[in-house]
Amino acid sequence: MTHDAPKILVLGVGNILFTDEGVGVRAVEALTRDYRFSDNVTLMDGGTLGMRLMDPIMQCQRLIVIDAVLGGDEPGSVYLLTGDDLRKSLAFKNSMHQSDLVDTLICCGLAGNRPDAVVVGVEPYDYQTMAVDISPQMTEKMPVILEVALEEIKKAGGDYDPASPGGDGA
Amino acid sequence: MAESKPTPQSTFTGPVIVDPITRIEGHLRIMVEVENGKIKDAWSSSQLFRGLEIILKGRDPRDAQHFTQRACGVCTYVHALASTRCVDNAVKVNIPANARLMRNLVMAAQYLHDHIVHFYHLHALDWVDVTNALKADPQKAAKLAANIAPARPENSAESLKAVQDRLKAFVDTGQLGIFTNAYFLGGHPAYYLPPEVDLIATAHYLEALHLQVKAARGMAVFGGKNPHTQFTVVGGCTNYEGMTPDRIAEFTSLWKETKKFVDEVYIPDLLAVAGFYKDWGGIGGCTNFLTFGEFPGDVSNTEKYMDSCYFPAGVMMNRDLKKVDKVDLKEITEHVKYSWYKGDEAHHPYEGVTEPQYTKLDDKQRYSWMKAPRYKGKAMEVGPLARVLIAYAKGHKETKALVDTVLKKLSIPATALFSTLGRTAARGIETAIIAEKMDAWIKEYAANIKKGDTNLAAKWDMPAVGEGVGLVDAPRGALSHWIKIKDKKIDNFQLVVPSTWNLGPRCAAGAVSPVEEALIGSPIADPKRPVEILRTVHAFDPCIACGVHVIEPNSNEVLKFRIR
Repeated sequence: MTHDAPKILVLGVGNILFTDEGVGVRAVEALTRDYRFSDNVTLMDGGTLGMRLMDPIMQCQRLIVIDAVLGGDEPGSVYLLTGDDLRKSLAFKNSMHQSDLVDTLICCGLAGNRPDAVVVGVEPYDYQTMAVDISPQMTEKMPVILEVALEEIKKAGGDYDPASPGGDGA
Repeated sequence: MAESKPTPQSTFTGPVIVDPITRIEGHLRIMVEVENGKIKDAWSSSQLFRGLEIILKGRDPRDAQHFTQRACGVCTYVHALASTRCVDNAVKVNIPANARLMRNLVMAAQYLHDHIVHFYHLHALDWVDVTNALKADPQKAAKLAANIAPARPENSAESLKAVQDRLKAFVDTGQLGIFTNAYFLGGHPAYYLPPEVDLIATAHYLEALHLQVKAARGMAVFGGKNPHTQFTVVGGCTNYEGMTPDRIAEFTSLWKETKKFVDEVYIPDLLAVAGFYKDWGGIGGCTNFLTFGEFPGDVSNTEKYMDSCYFPAGVMMNRDLKKVDKVDLKEITEHVKYSWYKGDEAHHPYEGVTEPQYTKLDDKQRYSWMKAPRYKGKAMEVGPLARVLIAYAKGHKETKALVDTVLKKLSIPATALFSTLGRTAARGIETAIIAEKMDAWIKEYAANIKKGDTNLAAKWDMPAVGEGVGLVDAPRGALSHWIKIKDKKIDNFQLVVPSTWNLGPRCAAGAVSPVEEALIGSPIADPKRPVEILRTVHAFDPCIACGVHVIEPNSNEVLKFRIR
């Protein structure tokens, strides 16, 4: 990793107790399991921790959030929200868990370091049933979500390789 | 200190509804009936943890903490700890001293973090008019700050002027961000701080944003890198790295910085703001109080646990500061008569059943997803005020001293503690006491390791059948997890959480919950912007981080505003 490689945080957020609400967390788990990333990339299960996430967010230069978003399109749709879209997007305001990442980002800005952020959003199939697994339809969609997330990691200046089969996946 | 002003009150009569829309931390909807500017009746309606026990049933008891800590957005550690403690209790393991101290230190760090964030970021805007700070004279504000707090560069006229300039730029661009839809916008009669105090508090609001990051890092030093708790395990803790001198030094340094902020900023601000809102020492009080105690010295069984807590366990009935009873866990029941569950029988948590039966939103017979916990049939306030009142009544030295100092500085009687003001003050008081006490705990922990004790987890065996309770007095109040084990698996698991004690519905006898009691009698100055409801509800620190809707009485107009 070169000295100026930006520090990238890939943050999966959502509540794993409500089916597809946990899609962001499950996507980050899959990335961690199936890929090895360059040293400038950190993957984190952010749960619904809200302001508790300010520390890791403020320590990165590029933030990639994976989250369930109510955007109004059919379930399984993947959204990409960046810059002004993110600030203005009503869709993102509809992110179902109210850890309220937009507020957390505003607070990061007020505290002096708001990284460039992009949100990979996914329209959920089921976010009301209390269950720790994502829905079968969402499981089928997972490769698409990971593909979009990996593209964003690459664009942000991160690198990755598939983890060797049976490898330690560290 | 300033004299208190008469509390503004309207002549409005009718319903007012404050309805948040969160989905995760529970849907808290407050409905009140206002008569001639005063709240006559109140209903707290919410949903929490619906069906969590269904997910837990049949799992390995050791795994409970990984699910329960996700139940609640930001209370991850307290749930992980309560789940761990209930299995500790069920398998009858006595954890090593290091594990007890490490758990206590992380809990103490959580208190510091949570209470600072609550005061500045969740509650301050109910009292502080940020836009009014623009009218302040920075010179005057600096002088005022020097009167109420030790000298610090952040309180200089130059620094305060810089904050004011930043704030002005912020307001001029219309980027109000977190202040969008705040009740104070455009002026509000129920806000009455002078501009200089508003400026000081706003400056510290911003400073606290930085500080809380470090306070949270304190938890992570022992808690492991992941923001979710992974260091507790049945029988002790797993984070051996947390016993190294480097980690202890890092924790100590973060604690010192946080303590300095508490002593030099939080407490002076609390006193300054409270001095102008002394009328709130007569609004928002409850009757009965319960705490399980926290920061145990001996966790070998439940009795010893409660007897050995630094903040003592106890029960106070009828605001009697002269009498504190022991907690009898058998006296806890959960009522469902007014809740969206089948039946109307009250059960002890070990026998708890969860059979949902939703009726409708505006039903006043069944109106909440929360059950109604009661102790000896009575509604009990839990949280900072309960802890401080019970410690005070029991003559807990540090609490007695600080409470008396605060009462004297504000020139208010001890009876004024039974209020919204008292609740908010108690939170600051216990923060300062814990911050002070942590010094001794860190030293005890370091000394224990130094003398060669590196034991962090004890061995134990999972019984085929068993039951246990995990008590935690979390920053928000008394929390208990109750487990029944059968065939080494979870047979029943119930959580009785602080927000259900404080914010639940009526019980089988039809008696109101603490927050409902606290709201009744409160003045309402502007029914469209009922900041008084927010003050009292927020003072309980409900576990919700959410957007809120206000539905006007006679139209469908929905005004969106933020609760934090």
